[in-house]
Amino acid sequence: MTTTAHGADASQDEAGDERHGPPHVQLQVQTPRGLWSMTEPEEAPRRPDYPISTKIQVVIDDARTVFKFVENDTKYTLFLGGEMLAPERTLASYHIAPDALLVLSVQGGNA
Amino acid sequence: MSVPVSLSLETVRCELAAATAYAAAAGLELDASELSENTLQFHVVFWNMQRKRFTAEFDCRDYSMYPPTIEFVDATRTLRGTPALYPAGFHGMPCVCARYNRKAYTERGGPHGDWRLVDWQLPTGNGVAIDSLAMILSDLHSKISQSAGRLG
Repeated sequence: MTTTAHGADASQDEAGDERHGPPHVQLQVQTPRGLWSMTEPEEAPRRPDYPISTKIQVVIDDARTVFKFVENDTKYTLFLGGEMLAPERTLASYHIAPDALLVLSVQGGNA
Repeated sequence: MSVPVSLSLETVRCELAAATAYAAAAGLELDASELSENTLQFHVVFWNMQRKRFTAEFDCRDYSMYPPTIEFVDATRTLRGTPALYPAGFHGMPCVCARYNRKAYTERGGPHGDWRLVDWQLPTGNGVAIDSLAMILSDLHSKISQSAGRLG
């Protein structure tokens, strides 16, 4: 079973169940290892479907999990267009639209 | 030892699929229009935090046995390798001082005699391994988009 990033059963969401609480937004996250979306990668353990009150750091952590970026001594940054998103802020604070394409940049260790 | 040009070309073309997707999403301009057996090169335009433009040339001879040689060039791609063409934050040689850049190795005049070219896909320290063209673009995108000014 695939769960959404907030833990709900994706099949229920796709069936159009009404959800309580804050509005949700479904995102796409491009990483150097591929695109994370509601359908890709097929075997993803979770989907980028978030309450708009979710912090950016949570999206970063989930994208890392999906693409197995396990190294902690690495800088992971989320971008929207050319804007770097602050991890402590929420999705709502950036007025992120449904299906927005975010970019996870991954910076290796320094020589 | 060298890699047959046809094999390097095939590898680069294969990896460019992921690199192009990343570049498009990140607002980078990737130009592989000159890529061929005669010219194993492509170019990528990056933007720093002040929206200044920097063009990097990736010479992929012997890829992927050896890393690409990455050099910053001017907009017309005639002037190359001067500090003024580099974003701030890179090695003053000037050079992108990373395992994934062949110019960083001693054989190309770089500072790193302690690295072996065939190990270029190993991680530096405990960081993630920068082991593909898409990962290289991501590393450079992260560094350049958070830098201000030019190296020289």
